Amino acid sequence: MVDIDIYGLGIGLVLMLIPLFFLYKLRTGLVHSTLSATIRMIIQLWLIGLYLQFLFLSDVWWVNLIWGLIMTFVATGTAIQRTRLKLQYMGIPLLVSFLSTALIISIYFIGLVLGSSEMKIFEQTFTSTEFLSYLFSARYFIPIFGLLLGNMLGVNVLALSTYFEGIRREQQMYRYLLGNGATRWEATQPFMRKAAIKAFNPCIANMAVMGLVAMPGTMIGQILGGSDPSQAIKYQMMIVVITFVASMLSLMLTIFLAQKQCFDNMGLLKNVIAEKVDNK
Amino acid sequence: MSFNIRIMLQLKDVTIKYGEKTVINHLSLDVDRGQLVCICGESGCGKTSLLNAIMGFVAFEGEILIDGIQVSHTNIDSIRRMIAYVPQELALPQETVKEMIYLPFSLKANHQKDYSDEKVLKEWEFLNLDRSILEKRTTEISGGQRQRVMLSVAGLLHKKLILVDEPTSALDPESAQLVLRYFRHLIDSENVTIVVASHHKAIIDNSDQVVEIKTLNF
Repeated sequence: MVDIDIYGLGIGLVLMLIPLFFLYKLRTGLVHSTLSATIRMIIQLWLIGLYLQFLFLSDVWWVNLIWGLIMTFVATGTAIQRTRLKLQYMGIPLLVSFLSTALIISIYFIGLVLGSSEMKIFEQTFTSTEFLSYLFSARYFIPIFGLLLGNMLGVNVLALSTYFEGIRREQQMYRYLLGNGATRWEATQPFMRKAAIKAFNPCIANMAVMGLVAMPGTMIGQILGGSDPSQAIKYQMMIVVITFVASMLSLMLTIFLAQKQCFDNMGLLKNVIAEKVDNK
Repeated sequence: MSFNIRIMLQLKDVTIKYGEKTVINHLSLDVDRGQLVCICGESGCGKTSLLNAIMGFVAFEGEILIDGIQVSHTNIDSIRRMIAYVPQELALPQETVKEMIYLPFSLKANHQKDYSDEKVLKEWEFLNLDRSILEKRTTEISGGQRQRVMLSVAGLLHKKLILVDEPTSALDPESAQLVLRYFRHLIDSENVTIVVASHHKAIIDNSDQVVEIKTLNF
């Protein structure tokens, strides 16, 4: 694959002037935040690149696992910040749900899907260290874990905001259900349904047009990297499946774990959403 | 603890506060089975708060007992299973009136309750609702019709206690009379107890017991 040198990167970044121009002309007030986000992206990716290089060179399974844990903490913090849900109520549910789901799905995919072809796990025997080194290898674990976290984060942010805002806004409806004999689980069902529809509709729509309208990132990356398109397609297919499953699983787990934390013993929603702070 | 079997709802020295503000101050009340009770008072005096306390939606001091069971977090689910609740002007997300009626029957607590269009229409005869409403969208019916539909749902749930918040707020005097007649029908046929928060004169005049709540200024 052709390496993009510093001049090439500069030429590529010049393209950002086009959206910046329109954001300025439309007086959106987003020019400053777009500029700072771009600069942050460059610095963060650079630093992560350096760190990943170190990880890939050392490739110690438990170091990779610790890196996964750090990524999970960052994802939890980002989810808290973007949903405006209070850390004291949602911190633990999000952290547990993100970590357990990403681990389970990563291990399933790397161990069983990739492992059946590459390691012949059903035919050979390994020592536990060999198997752990394979499962948590930097080459597979870091990108798969990161990919799952990214997708889970997006879905959870959208769904949890819809869910909790819905219960707060439509309190009368929630109380109507409780007041007519609904269990707490039953009373939250309409809000869970709405949240799931809102969060998964874009994923489903994207899946339906994949390859025709939307060219998936993983597949493009692999093809640009010199892989055979037929191999890239199989990877893409699996990536779509595991991200979809992980997103759903993590959302259900987060909501389940949050039930006890976020509702009082009479079934009413606690004050879980932080009020908006106006910076102006 | 002694409990009179005749009593359906009992409030013992109930106080409701929102922070420093007291809305209900040391209220005691016995409501017999088959009674129609009106909680009246000016807007914001605490009528709805009292209904909310009975359902465990609002914290209170004192004791509230429904059919001898104390309202507390340990038995709030069984308390709520005994109640049918009709809030004031509820905006349900259901698209059709039929879906709106069906909603509480879909709950596990009400699975054994018999529900059919025929039964709904029979209740509607008391409330002067036309059968065509059943097929309409919720946005196509008036506030008054919606209130009467919700009341018929509460009747069809066959609960021991019905709590109704401002049932006549969107009704003309004639429809308010229909609602009163429907309450009496439910009491006569099922010995249900009905507690209504309302300042409507007709309801006050026709209730078996009237509880007036005064706005507290401390």
